[in-house]
Amino acid sequence: MNQFRKTLLGLSTAVCMMGLTAAAQAETLKIGLAGPATGPVAQYGDMQKIGVMAAIEDINKAGGVNGMMLEGVIYDDACDPKQAVAVANKIVNDGITQVVGHLCSSSTEPASDIYDEEGVLMITAASTSPSITEKGYQTIFRTIGLDSLQGSMAAEYILDTAKPARVAVIHDKQQYGEGLATAVRDQLAESGVKAVMFEGVTPGDKDFSALIAKLKREDVDFVYYGGYHPELGLILRQSAEKGFDAQFMGPEGVVNSDLAKIAGDASEGVLATAPKSFDQNPVNQARVEAIKAKGEDPTGPFVFTAYAAVEVMTNAMEATKSTDSEKLADYIRAHDFDTAIGKVKYDEKGDLTESTFLVYRLHKDGSKTPAE
Amino acid sequence: MPGIRFIWSLQMSEFSLYLLQQLINGLTIGSTYALIAIGYTMVYGIIGMINFAHGEIYMIGSYVTFIVIAGLVSMGMVSLPIILVVALVVAIFIASTYGWTVERVAYRPLRGSNRLIPLISAIGMSIFLQNFVVLSQGSRDVALPPQIIGGWAFGDPSVFEVSLSYMQVMIFVTTFITMTGLTLFISKSRMGRACRACSEDLGMTNLLGINTNKVIALTFIIGAALAAIAGLLLGLYYGVVNPFVGFIAGLKAFTAAVLGGIGSIPGAVLGGLILGVTEAMTAAFFPSEYKDVVAFGLLVTILLFRPSGLLGKPEIEKV
Repeated sequence: MNQFRKTLLGLSTAVCMMGLTAAAQAETLKIGLAGPATGPVAQYGDMQKIGVMAAIEDINKAGGVNGMMLEGVIYDDACDPKQAVAVANKIVNDGITQVVGHLCSSSTEPASDIYDEEGVLMITAASTSPSITEKGYQTIFRTIGLDSLQGSMAAEYILDTAKPARVAVIHDKQQYGEGLATAVRDQLAESGVKAVMFEGVTPGDKDFSALIAKLKREDVDFVYYGGYHPELGLILRQSAEKGFDAQFMGPEGVVNSDLAKIAGDASEGVLATAPKSFDQNPVNQARVEAIKAKGEDPTGPFVFTAYAAVEVMTNAMEATKSTDSEKLADYIRAHDFDTAIGKVKYDEKGDLTESTFLVYRLHKDGSKTPAE
Repeated sequence: MPGIRFIWSLQMSEFSLYLLQQLINGLTIGSTYALIAIGYTMVYGIIGMINFAHGEIYMIGSYVTFIVIAGLVSMGMVSLPIILVVALVVAIFIASTYGWTVERVAYRPLRGSNRLIPLISAIGMSIFLQNFVVLSQGSRDVALPPQIIGGWAFGDPSVFEVSLSYMQVMIFVTTFITMTGLTLFISKSRMGRACRACSEDLGMTNLLGINTNKVIALTFIIGAALAAIAGLLLGLYYGVVNPFVGFIAGLKAFTAAVLGGIGSIPGAVLGGLILGVTEAMTAAFFPSEYKDVVAFGLLVTILLFRPSGLLGKPEIEKV
């Protein structure tokens, strides 16, 4: 009986699996979309989704890839490293071999370990931490520059343009924020500008009055903040209330219309390094119109990097006539791509050879303009 | 800065002005901890259990405030005092309803059972409420533009200017009025006397013909109302709320209640203020990432030397 049961179970599992593979190989090719769909930074997940869905729509309209239609499947990691690992395993189990994501560097790093081992091609449109591509992965790429570039761009701007008297560097103690803050501090120090303060805040914290009083006491006139918008928004808002008037600067993690919602008028004039406004590029005009027609916002920093990630993937699939991640990875390393973010070329590690960042000034209506 | 009026020239050293500023910051945050802590301490004082869903009631109070303010503003209401009063009344009413429901659903059916069982059901309630808000309001930060703008400044402009925003003043004043009202209620009113009797000896009070169920329900309602007031104040102060703010706020307030001596209302107030000031002072003189380390280190130290908290009475095993 036992033996019979086992056989039956084995048979039914086999049948199920055959059914699954058959379904997957039918006319659609699934692309995993991993990032936060819930939680405090879900807005960035939305940007990625808007870009990927727009790209998939355009490609499907043009006849798909190798005769297959693309389909985006959303996985929510909530920007939580533990959940990111679970999501990565689920993507592998679901038989998906192409992923755009993850978003937060601290999620992308543990997830890429799994993808590389299981032969899944991953292109992140938003993770900027250099350590992700430092482990010599085969199938991990990005369509965004690195923190080291972003940090040095911020430091250069501080040194050459802002020229403040006293700089403070604040971060949120997370991989992304602290990494950037350290890069900025070190580069300033190399040029002889010593940050008068270098401190962390706790993500999720709401009261920064003590920190602001300290900044005020130190006569700081320029604050670089490495982290995301919820904390910076509150710092700005409370600074205005307490009469602390300094120039703030952040990375692309603060470029979000929610910053203006939280901080109100206090968000006017904040500086930020962000990927170029690809929605302003005439090449993308039709795409911008199409996204606007759906009632979505094409101006987010990750919309077109995500669009480009899909383009890189599908171009490689068409050229190699394959979905095998290793073949695709080899092809991606060896070729240039014309994408929504311009010409894309990769180095051995899977990083872009050219930076895509610019310094922007943010406004209280949620828009941004290139900084003078 | 616009909206900040310089009112008082004060000749003091830079250090003492800075200390004063951090003291104000600490007392502001501390008084809101105290408001939430009272909810914990009152419930503990009467039934000897911790209401772990209390932080969530605070969070709901914040959400209701945001919804009411946004609603009234979109309806064209411009008078700020009216908006705030309506928001306060609605927030207190709705949060109290939740507080009462928590008692009815998670505590009353379990009265008389092992102490651990209501504890678990309260944690269940907390998770339920958190997820209920996630599903009904979304899990993202909801922001409200600053409503009460501006403040006063004093000190020596050439040395250090201490700022005191209107919002901070409003937090002090509201907390003070609420505390006074509560103290009067507990010490003078009939119902307050019943509360004190219940905390002395629940079984005996019951035997003497007092409806203890009603008293316990009232305790939850009062605690929830105070949490709603804290929700309104902190919601307006920070301008941001998400479904997870209740957890941290609840944890801090619970710490404040334990620090002051759980079961004692003056203890909860003292504990809240000490915790708030400790956090501010730590952030003032050490890197601010250490503020939780120091605050909780202080809790452990105090409990080592005074296991029942600063103002708590040592528990006598009731026979």
